[in-house]
Amino acid sequence: MSHHRRGGPLQGVRVLELTKVWAGPYAGKQLAFLGAEVIRVESRGSLDVTRSYGVQDIDKAPGFMAVNPQKLSVQIDMKSKEGLALLKDLAGKCDILIENLRPGAIERLGIGYAELKRERPDIIFVSMGMYGNTGPLAYQTGYAPCFVALGGLSSLVGYEGEAPRGMNIRYADSTFGTAAAFATLAALNHRKRTGEGQFIDVSAVETMTSMIGDSIMDHSLNRRVVACDGNRHAEMAPHGAYPCADGDWIAISIPTDTAWAALAGRMGVADGRFATLAGRKAHEAELDRIIAAWTAGQTAATLAETLQFAGIAATKSANSVDLVSDAHLWEREFFRTVTDADGENRVIVGPGHRMTHGAAITDGAPKLGQHNAYVFGDILGLSVEEQRRLADAGAIR
Amino acid sequence: MTALRTIRIIELAEGVAGEYCGKLLADFGASVIKIERPGTGSPTRHMGPFKDDVPGTDTSGLFAYLNTNKKSVTLDLAIEAGVTALRTLLDHADVVIDDHDPEWLAAMGLDPRHLADARPGLILCAITPFGFTARDSRHRNATDLTVMHASGWAYHTPSGETDRPPLKGAGRFLASYEAGLEAAMCVAAALHDGLGRFIDVSAQEVMASRVDYVLGQMVAGDMDVDARRTRFDLGGPAGIFPCRQGHAYVWMSAPSHWQAIRQLLGDPDWVRAFPDDWLERGLTPERIAECRTRLGDWLRSQDKDEVSARAQQRGLTMVPVNDPDDLLRSPQFTHRGFFRELDHPALGHAVYPTVPYKLSATPAHLAAAAPLLGQHTAETIG
Repeated sequence: MSHHRRGGPLQGVRVLELTKVWAGPYAGKQLAFLGAEVIRVESRGSLDVTRSYGVQDIDKAPGFMAVNPQKLSVQIDMKSKEGLALLKDLAGKCDILIENLRPGAIERLGIGYAELKRERPDIIFVSMGMYGNTGPLAYQTGYAPCFVALGGLSSLVGYEGEAPRGMNIRYADSTFGTAAAFATLAALNHRKRTGEGQFIDVSAVETMTSMIGDSIMDHSLNRRVVACDGNRHAEMAPHGAYPCADGDWIAISIPTDTAWAALAGRMGVADGRFATLAGRKAHEAELDRIIAAWTAGQTAATLAETLQFAGIAATKSANSVDLVSDAHLWEREFFRTVTDADGENRVIVGPGHRMTHGAAITDGAPKLGQHNAYVFGDILGLSVEEQRRLADAGAIR
Repeated sequence: MTALRTIRIIELAEGVAGEYCGKLLADFGASVIKIERPGTGSPTRHMGPFKDDVPGTDTSGLFAYLNTNKKSVTLDLAIEAGVTALRTLLDHADVVIDDHDPEWLAAMGLDPRHLADARPGLILCAITPFGFTARDSRHRNATDLTVMHASGWAYHTPSGETDRPPLKGAGRFLASYEAGLEAAMCVAAALHDGLGRFIDVSAQEVMASRVDYVLGQMVAGDMDVDARRTRFDLGGPAGIFPCRQGHAYVWMSAPSHWQAIRQLLGDPDWVRAFPDDWLERGLTPERIAECRTRLGDWLRSQDKDEVSARAQQRGLTMVPVNDPDDLLRSPQFTHRGFFRELDHPALGHAVYPTVPYKLSATPAHLAAAAPLLGQHTAETIG
């Protein structure tokens, strides 16, 4: 069962998740990985698309399982009156509620912060939206690439002098979820000291903008809008990806003149114009061509290893095969094994951190309603007869 | 009244990730003392953008963004007196944020292996490119660029690209900002139960964990892995299109989106020639190409903000591709007060991005601009 004592800094903290897809679930996952008991409220009538996308068995959906390990699942139909009452009772037993439903949906259900605060005065209520809860555009919705475009990131990603291409389409949701998790924990510290809960309004677009704060400062200080710059970096040259054998790429970045001297030595290049950063920046396109001609045909991983031992920041650009076979990530137990409800082992992606006195991460993602008995019986104290009656009435489905 | 106002933090970190972590905590009211090298100060003071493009110890916009609400204390940690002063400061600290290697940290009396005995109750957070215990060669010389490539993001950026070089992502420091955010989250969690802890944040793992939806399926054997640059992609006609000025991003994946496009464009012949459900059941390279060309032709004459608003009203997820200038003028950002004006002796009056979360009881607050180098040395260590 998932609700044993796993340790970790958030042991004893209970989180209710009314979330969909990726960003909201990622916030919950972060808290679960830190030791919180995270309960997803689900129902057959409004399943998360990641439970059904491309699969027959909603309890074995790969995308859902990837983002929801170490969580509990309870079935409550929020479209039924009794279901809503159940949800309110459950919220009363939780420290934190996270929602990323469509703008205004939670209020229309009558379970907004104002209502839930009556059930649980010190609840921390976290609302996640593309634009946040307020403002003239708060009604709008979108997916991750929209956050990236709106937040200013896409305008920076593209080949030099060309139109923006944007980040990889998967970027944004998990970052947004982490920002929400951080804000939640700041509020939890405040509550611990004062007993006061609060409402937290998190904006995906603003989360994105905060990740390019220094580019914003360039505009703020100098009225400059930077165009797409490929792989350029004001303080480093060379700085880019260069072609190798077998269609692979090697990333090389040179932050100092010393590192350049080491690379130039390896390449057999003796050109005084490249000795200083200013010189390399002035002839950067030519420099890139020389390096690309040198890397072409070499084996990316071997070359990167050689360059590292010469004091040069280099790495093979990892494709998906490289990622899942990265020995370093396995050795550090970034990839780790959990057990699902059927006793089967499954490898998951762990958190980006380790800590002493951390939380055990042992369980896979829950089956739909896997923890109904625990939630309704142990947390809410409902008798088996009452649970059966609620199920018959359609509140638990 | 901010959420972390009772917390005392010593920031030994000198890179973007550690400084961003400290900033996020300082903006919630934590007292953050930044230890800097005498003379030159933090390396980020010497990275652009600079005010009027004039480099100087106190003119970096990067440093200004990363160090709001902090105090600057200069200490020479290469000499015994400096280390002694640091140890006194550490006696009163709840949290230390660092980004140096294990040997350096041990020399400061902060060896994680002895932390529980030497400084019980202290939270020590180490942020490094490949993790504190990294042994493989990549950790020896690492930058944000190599982390972006080692975590899979760069290889798969931009989406849809198969031939040209992988791109680093937005700006110079995406991996560092992500690692700093993760570290701040871990510190806030650790403060909750108050136990002393050593926290090891790996930027590579932070970035790889940000793509868990895909990588989790791959490592579990549920999704194919291969060397294709488009392996993370979803396919389909979604993407960025040029408008009259600037660009717009259009997401299309459901029949309802196609209906909205029909309405928006006035149901032209080419649109009617497509099956209603093609976005769900009829994606072919030919249709995707034609859709992108035709839609692109139409959007070229449209205003990105105006057309996006009309699209949104019809249920189509179209948004403008904003640049910093658009953001500074955005009615949405203005309404929410995302930007805040601060005064700084060298930078003058300037607008700063704040934080993406609004807390009703304990909002983050940018009370003070970044400190001048050593501004708080005298008052802090006398």
